[in-house]
Amino acid sequence: MTLSGYEALFFWIFALAAIFAGLLTVMARNAVHSALFLISSLVSVAALFVLARAEFIAGVQILVYVGGVMVLFLFVIMLVNVGAEERGSEEIFNNQRQVAASLIFCLLLVGGVLYSVNRGYQGLQEQHKLTPEVAAVQEAIRNQSLTASATGSSRMTTDSESLAGSLYRYASLPFEIASVLLLVAIIGSVMLARTLRQEASADDLGPEVLEEEIVRDPELAKLEPQSE
Amino acid sequence: MIMFNLISPTLAFLFQEAPRSGFEQIKYSAQNPDLAKFLVIGALLFIIGVAGVLTRRNIIVIFMSIELILNAANLNFIAFSRYLSLTGDPDAVAGQIFTVFVIVVAAAEAAIGLGIVIALYRNKETIWVDEIDLLKW
Repeated sequence: MTLSGYEALFFWIFALAAIFAGLLTVMARNAVHSALFLISSLVSVAALFVLARAEFIAGVQILVYVGGVMVLFLFVIMLVNVGAEERGSEEIFNNQRQVAASLIFCLLLVGGVLYSVNRGYQGLQEQHKLTPEVAAVQEAIRNQSLTASATGSSRMTTDSESLAGSLYRYASLPFEIASVLLLVAIIGSVMLARTLRQEASADDLGPEVLEEEIVRDPELAKLEPQSE
Repeated sequence: MIMFNLISPTLAFLFQEAPRSGFEQIKYSAQNPDLAKFLVIGALLFIIGVAGVLTRRNIIVIFMSIELILNAANLNFIAFSRYLSLTGDPDAVAGQIFTVFVIVVAAAEAAIGLGIVIALYRNKETIWVDEIDLLKW
């Protein structure tokens, strides 16, 4: 797979955007800024997915992350907002020795990964020798069989079609398990985020715990009759 | 047949990669980003995420860094899926299927993790991970 022309240009733009937005996510002082930089990083990666001809996954990425996960993050940031971070009175990183140790670890990881990617890719290239020019010709031939879009200037891909076919044909059991996992996650997060008051009114507290809490907060005793 | 024998070495010569040196090589590879570039971008995103998990004190930013790590893995899956589909592998779309499942697990993880953050904040009144040391000996 080799990109060329405008695709190469857009590859570099989005790759740099993803990496810088990722760095700013980690380094921003304000957690809301972190969340917004994370969105830009994820959208840039979605654009890289489009360049790798995975249009459906790019759409899913934007819908799930920007539409769902990010809203959740922003809500939680608003709920637990402490404010000390933005005013600059609190340190945002761990103490210096821990930061130095983890940065050294990360630099070692960068070196090792870059070295092994380059060495491994050389071996892979020897296995599948294909110059960009030949690949472009092959791609053009493959595109001939796709149906033209309404404007006639481009062609419709079969990416979603092949993904859906394989997903339901070979991975239908994992698909069902994933749906159960999501259900468990929904129930679990609702259970975890309840207040003591909500737990008491649903009669979910043990009798001893309830006794103790009533001493601290007499209001809880009034909630009890509702659950009976 | 004779014509074909004449033409095919010429074509092979035309499509052969010309020997390049130094700067030309770098320029050529920058103008034609390939699988290795995708993998390098994925690796860098992964390492940025690891650095975030290891160094930040805010537990919400740590969760965001975990999302970055999972996304870097997705980028690798998609890049390899594309590469294998060009080599003619019929199962190349498996990479995209894995990506769907990674996204599902990431969404579930974010929901549970943020539920835990809210419960933690309600009980301990803090989101700094170095102050949450109940299990510390």
